[in-house]
Amino acid sequence: MPIINLQDVSKLYGFGDATTVALEEVNLSIERGEFVAVMGPSGSGKSTLMNIIGLLDRPTHGSYVLNGRSVSRLRSNQRAKVRRDTVGFVFQSFNLLPKLTVLENVALPLAYKGMTQTRRLKQAAAVLERVGLSDREYFYPKQLSGGQAQRAAIARALVNNPQIIIADEPTGNLDSAASRLVMELLSDIHAMGGTILMVTHNPELTRFASRVVFMHDGDIVGDKQSTIGQVPKSLRKRMYYLPKLTEEDRIAGVSAMMKAFPDKEAKSSKRTTKARKAKKPSTRKAKK
Amino acid sequence: MRLKANIKMAFASIRSARWRSFLTMLGIIVGVASVVVTISLGEGVRQQVEGQIKQLGSDLIIVKPGKNVGASSSLGALTANNAQSFTDQDLQAIKTTKGIKTVVPFSTVSGVARTDDSELPDGFIVGTTELLPEILRQRVKYGSFFAADDTNRKIAVIGKRVAQDLFHETVPLGKSLQVRGERYVVSGVFDQFATSPLSPTSDYNSAVFIPYESARTLVGQSQIYQVLVRPIDPEQTSQVAKNITANLSDAHGKQTDFTVLKQEENLAATNKILTLLTSMIAGIAAISLLVGGIGIMNIMLVSVTERTKEIGVRKAVGATNRQILDQFVTEAAVISLLGGVLGLLLSLFVDYLFRLFTDIKPAVTVPIMGIAVLVALVVGMFFGILPAIKAASRDPIEALRYE
Repeated sequence: MPIINLQDVSKLYGFGDATTVALEEVNLSIERGEFVAVMGPSGSGKSTLMNIIGLLDRPTHGSYVLNGRSVSRLRSNQRAKVRRDTVGFVFQSFNLLPKLTVLENVALPLAYKGMTQTRRLKQAAAVLERVGLSDREYFYPKQLSGGQAQRAAIARALVNNPQIIIADEPTGNLDSAASRLVMELLSDIHAMGGTILMVTHNPELTRFASRVVFMHDGDIVGDKQSTIGQVPKSLRKRMYYLPKLTEEDRIAGVSAMMKAFPDKEAKSSKRTTKARKAKKPSTRKAKK
Repeated sequence: MRLKANIKMAFASIRSARWRSFLTMLGIIVGVASVVVTISLGEGVRQQVEGQIKQLGSDLIIVKPGKNVGASSSLGALTANNAQSFTDQDLQAIKTTKGIKTVVPFSTVSGVARTDDSELPDGFIVGTTELLPEILRQRVKYGSFFAADDTNRKIAVIGKRVAQDLFHETVPLGKSLQVRGERYVVSGVFDQFATSPLSPTSDYNSAVFIPYESARTLVGQSQIYQVLVRPIDPEQTSQVAKNITANLSDAHGKQTDFTVLKQEENLAATNKILTLLTSMIAGIAAISLLVGGIGIMNIMLVSVTERTKEIGVRKAVGATNRQILDQFVTEAAVISLLGGVLGLLLSLFVDYLFRLFTDIKPAVTVPIMGIAVLVALVVGMFFGILPAIKAASRDPIEALRYE
């Protein structure tokens, strides 16, 4: 049984002539343990879809069954409780509360569950250790680097032992090194059986996903199973040239495969440009 | 348990914006302080008056010449003017009234008491009889009062303040002072009289008592400005007062151009005035408390808007609307409670200043303090609800987008 099952889910804003269709009869079914990357241009409805799956929003039409329970018609307080226990959010801009320490930030979801302070902080400390931030427990968010902050945010998302993690452009504000760390963390969670939904603009990151969903104008236009370590074929065309992968890379792990970063490959060999130039005219001629 | 967490968060929030929180609290502080100071002043004065009246005894009857319009009301009796005075015949009429135990006349001697090197402008000279200490229930601390046969001797018994201001010592026995050119020897100093700011009888601490006959000799006639009477049976005070009225009006040709005051009327009158004054001023002070509450509401609204993103994050992480509401109401409550306590401390300080620099001794009782703090809390919670509702009803998605 899929953990997330959306059927004919639509989200409409406004009414009458000014109706905006954010999502149009979306059908999506996600099994436990999948790492789904959601891609699409701005305005395609990715965020709206994530919000609905994460119970921050309610579909206008359609049904949403989460873990066997229909949640599409819940009131906001009920949704808050389900959200608290089942979903962990990771945002692009981290969204840590600036006036609380890292430890208190991570413990926040537990506070709303009614846990006592000592237990809360203990559990938070355990999760922080798992993400490697034990030495930053009493720091304030503004004292952390971007990567550390995002890892703290992931810790906060994990503290409740959620069934799903929803990450909205988790590496959007991070440099490449920090991005690598964060993605490795998410990958670990996936490897241990977690279900992850990630919205991203960076096709490279789809290497970590087991499935890639493409959206356009409120609809799902593509849904492919993907192997970890591979970027789906349809994305390769839009990217810069990807070097061939060797055996060493495969052993070294997925993040080692992310060799084709712009700063390295943009000034790539002439071979690339020539090859591309050579290709293009022929295809044009063929089409004519 | 959840409350403790909310309170901690409230304190953290207050601490992170110290000046702003303090200025917000200021309204409540001033409001609470003014209400408490007003009430404690009123209560203090009331207690002093009551104390003095109790000391004199509720069976004391004060007979004064002159009658104000509306002297039948207790308010008028207090302000009856003393332009006229009783004569010796009047005194006799009073003395022969049925049921009387003690009668003591008070006659004015105009003039200023002086010694060779100082004079007493605040003081006043009273001619009276030997029963004065008994009827005033006050004892002479140093020396002694004059006896029945001393009525024409030139001796004086002075109040405490006269001793300090005129003679600059505590026990000026044997020293002499001059009244209208005549020399009088101090034979006694009174213990401190219980004073009260609203008492119709004057502050005897600044009085110089000389024998009645001697006063008459000095002035030429008796100018009695009041007569104090005690009945034999305290239960019969009203009846005796009526008898006095009857007798005196006979002596005055059936006119009642005098006032007969019972102490209970005194007490009732004072209480009435005080309650009126206190309520009026406390009411005005309460308005400032209201303004303080509005200040809290204002700042909480601003705070909610500022923290929109924070509210979004909290909701995303699983806070229900009710939990957000509780957080913000608690914050408003903590601010106002703190303001209430600080206002209370301020009022205690102001009361202390009053005690130091004036005669009034304000009285703050525990119930008053408790109510003041409670009212502050209620005001805070009441004015904090609206902003809290606003916070709780924010859509998390929009809130997260807010920069």
